[in-house]
Amino acid sequence: MTDFDWLRQRLGSAFGQFLSQAPELARLWGQWFDAVEGQPVPLARLEKPLREARLALVTTGGVHLRAQTPFDMHDSHGDPSYRVIPADTPVDELMITHDYYDHSDAERDLNILFPLELARELAAHGAIGGLGTCYSFMGHIEPPHVETLIRQTAPEVAGMLRQEQIDAVLLTPA
Amino acid sequence: MGLIARVIETFGIPTICVIGLREIAERVRPPRAIHLKWPFGHPLGEPGNRAQQLCVIYIALQALYTVRESGTIIDPGWRWRREEYEEPDRWDLP
Repeated sequence: MTDFDWLRQRLGSAFGQFLSQAPELARLWGQWFDAVEGQPVPLARLEKPLREARLALVTTGGVHLRAQTPFDMHDSHGDPSYRVIPADTPVDELMITHDYYDHSDAERDLNILFPLELARELAAHGAIGGLGTCYSFMGHIEPPHVETLIRQTAPEVAGMLRQEQIDAVLLTPA
Repeated sequence: MGLIARVIETFGIPTICVIGLREIAERVRPPRAIHLKWPFGHPLGEPGNRAQQLCVIYIALQALYTVRESGTIIDPGWRWRREEYEEPDRWDLP
């Protein structure tokens, strides 16, 4: 990593942490985000009742298994890769690598960000038809990695969701 | 996150996003979204507040059935730390 990359990463991290404390500024920043503006928005239909629907969770909060490679915090443009989180993963085997927001509360109770335990409960009680394999990204992704996300890693995850016959996906951000 | 939701939806799987920044969602336009103007890192609420977390999950899953127009953003208007929540007692959606 060059000194310039290091500086960008540090500034990006500080900016992300600052946005956590300054939502109005974050909203202003959001107005500059136009990655897919003007493109049609797809809409699939959920055809079966919830009690029969297999759900999967996808988060962009930087969650991963302790045994997995952490997300890359050295690349100031982010990390478009993903981590596979099996549905039966014990929560104490999970951690968060994401320098761009304050995740101290999520580390106390992961359900506020990645509700794996609650979704397992809903499946056990028959409220949902089941919980499939879940996935995690690190949400701070800038060009050129946005292209990798859209063209490669997100389609890979979508393909696995379809292969596992997942009926619906709940996505949660950082 | 909205970009990922859009890709998943093109594979024929319905998605629901919980979002904190409406302005970003209006740009990225995920297929369906629940907007909660809560602090970053808390999309489902406060640690230990099980009822709040389940209420968010419920309203999100409900949107899978009620949203008919792509790009819809639902805003339940729940204020941060100023609401009382009760666990949903029925999950028989739709």
